[in-house]
Amino acid sequence: MATKIINKTVTEFSLRITRCFFVPSKTIQTNATLFQERLETSITNVEEQLPTTIRPPLPIIHSRKLAFPPKFKAPRQVWVSNMDTVEEEKLGLIDLHPEVFAERPRVDIIHENVRWQQLYRHVSYANTKMRYEVRGGGKKPRQQKGSGRSRHGSIRSPIWRGGGIVHGPRSPTPYFYMLGFNTRLNGLRSTLSAKLAQDDLHIVDSLDIPTDDPSYLEKLVEERGWGPAVLFVDDNDIMPLNITAASDSHGHYNLMPVYGLNVYSMLKHHTLVLTLAAVERLEERLLFHLNRNDAASAGQKYRLDSV
Amino acid sequence: MASVAARSFVFRQQMNTRRFDFASCLNIKSFYSSYSANPKEKSPENYTQYHEVSSDNWKFVERLKPPTVVPSFPKNGSCFSDWTPPPDTPPNLPYFVKRTKNFMVPVYLNFEAVRNQRKITMVKHIEGDIWALEKAIKSHLEEVTKRQVVSQVHEVAMYIKFRGDYVLHVKKWLLNAGF
Repeated sequence: MATKIINKTVTEFSLRITRCFFVPSKTIQTNATLFQERLETSITNVEEQLPTTIRPPLPIIHSRKLAFPPKFKAPRQVWVSNMDTVEEEKLGLIDLHPEVFAERPRVDIIHENVRWQQLYRHVSYANTKMRYEVRGGGKKPRQQKGSGRSRHGSIRSPIWRGGGIVHGPRSPTPYFYMLGFNTRLNGLRSTLSAKLAQDDLHIVDSLDIPTDDPSYLEKLVEERGWGPAVLFVDDNDIMPLNITAASDSHGHYNLMPVYGLNVYSMLKHHTLVLTLAAVERLEERLLFHLNRNDAASAGQKYRLDSV
Repeated sequence: MASVAARSFVFRQQMNTRRFDFASCLNIKSFYSSYSANPKEKSPENYTQYHEVSSDNWKFVERLKPPTVVPSFPKNGSCFSDWTPPPDTPPNLPYFVKRTKNFMVPVYLNFEAVRNQRKITMVKHIEGDIWALEKAIKSHLEEVTKRQVVSQVHEVAMYIKFRGDYVLHVKKWLLNAGF
């Protein structure tokens, strides 16, 4: 009965927060048959077959309106790059909200988030037997009095060799807990700020690449000096076919929708690449939570002791 | 006796027939994932008719709903409480104390759980040189209360705590400083 309750609690909440926080690296869905067709007719030589990109006069992206305009903190300016060509072409310059991207990084909050992400889904299956579970030990070994030896009731009591363990691990033990809403929110803000401050954050217009050749992505990342591991984040969870196919064979290039953005993934990947749509969505959501009228109800649905 | 036997015989016959007649017994209830997913519910003749009266009157409904986001304060006019709006320009100091999202001064009274309950005045949302701010507030409090004030500066979380209930003094100082 206890096991059933534990499993129900873990799966219930893990399902609810799967959408927000836990996204396996290859969640992105594509049409399987379409992908197969495309593989058969894919471009083999990258340099010859790439279409030439014709662009209007730069800068294409001029400015961005910030929600909840910051009063005294200056917005951070970042370049918007392209993904059409291997070489980086700067399409424009945009503002990023300082309350999201220029917050003082709280290392302790980042640590708390990483610890939570690793622990909340952890179930320990270690088990030891207690005295009533160890085989034998039902009979009193010898008479209470008369033998001159110490008195015992069972050969499997914890003081005996081979006896039961008193406070040992009991399988399955869940380590599920919910970190506070604001701690998770500030974890995202701190990590995004740290990424931007350390030149590990790049903005692109979209994730459309001209070919589905995996070597295109390799060359692009190498050319631009992006880290070995890159996390591409877009607003939509159905990604363009080309980048899905190109990144499929690489375990270190991962695609993620905005709702899956989490501190652990951002730290695991060296470079974070956000699309413009992802930046808009991210800022809108985080700024809403920072300025909402009913802050108490933000974490209501994750509270364990209330319905 | 005979009627009872007859009735029990009839009942047993019915039971026998019913035992093998699952099709009539089975009435599977389908539970759809959402209201609109149920195909039975889509036909409009099942429901009463409605007609739209006026979309202009929706504003009377909207004004009853609470705002999702903290609305900004009115710029003109004085408040009957002793609340003052945050200034438009920041003071020329090496530190800054930001207002909360409800435009309140971030000074709080906490109670420490020691044997004889201890009152702590906490100043949050500090940016810049926190030590300079602590020195300034501490000297002001010592001047006003004529006794030594114990303080804690937390550089990571950026808050200052003073031992004692000095909430009103600190708030007044911050407002005078221009925060």
